Amino acid sequence: MTATLTSGFSGEIIDINGISGDDDDRLTVTFAALANSTRRAILAHLAQGAATVNELAEPFDMKLPAVSKHLKVLERAGLIVRGQHAQFRPCALDAAPIAQIADWTEQYRPMWEARFDRMDDYLTRLQHHTEHRPEEADNNDD
Amino acid sequence: MTDTNTTDSDSTKSVVIERTFDAPMPLVWAMWTDADHFAAWYGPTGARIPVAKMDVTVGGKRHVCMEMDTPNGAMQMWFVGEYLEVSPHTRLVYTESMSNADGDVMTAGDMEMPEGMPTTTKVIVELTDRNSKTAMVMTHVGVPADSPGAQGWNMALDKLTAHITDAA
Repeated sequence: MTATLTSGFSGEIIDINGISGDDDDRLTVTFAALANSTRRAILAHLAQGAATVNELAEPFDMKLPAVSKHLKVLERAGLIVRGQHAQFRPCALDAAPIAQIADWTEQYRPMWEARFDRMDDYLTRLQHHTEHRPEEADNNDD
Repeated sequence: MTDTNTTDSDSTKSVVIERTFDAPMPLVWAMWTDADHFAAWYGPTGARIPVAKMDVTVGGKRHVCMEMDTPNGAMQMWFVGEYLEVSPHTRLVYTESMSNADGDVMTAGDMEMPEGMPTTTKVIVELTDRNSKTAMVMTHVGVPADSPGAQGWNMALDKLTAHITDAA
């Protein structure tokens, strides 16, 4: 459904979000992966160091296949990397996508810069107007 | 990029923008607090602000609608918020959340976005007189730590940012 949101948006709307298409998709996958308390707990565990599926399953009342499902989501989102040892396939955190999210407020900057450009223009017009049409000055009183 | 600061009180980053306008402080203040003035600059090009209700008092509510034409027809985005600090002509602090037309805060799930996507932000506007011009510092805090909708999100970030900081 996010695709509808994004594709229905003209360039201007994407400008509102301040997020370009590619970044948006990547953020969507990352946010979706993080939108689950079990997966966040798994990541918190991995923040302490790499672990096997068995170790990760331990704190949860959950069968291994269920944990594996969560790990697949995290792996697709690029949040974890898994070793190649067939038996254990230890998991480790990959912080890069999260670092990108941690920086997401920066996406707002171009939106605000554009707004303040418009505020500047508007203030100029408004004051220019007021000089030439003094009767309008009254309307600006608080 | 150098003026993007990380505030001490929040674990999330803020966007900080400084501008000087060739206008007196009361007029720049009115840009934020007078609905007609606000509507004149706030929306992106091609967007309209058909609704901007502002009760600019501490605890007062704001309700803003942004409307734009898309190939699928007009699309509206609604925002609600509350004024936290109102010091006329010098300092304004308000929250902003995505909402519906009735002013009910929408969660990320309601908006068909992934849960955990932050939906509440805080805007801080500070004005200073500079020889009859006005210096403005706008701080946009991504996710206020105290916003109810942000708790799950903050929990995730709090635990993970430490790791990222170590890894960086």
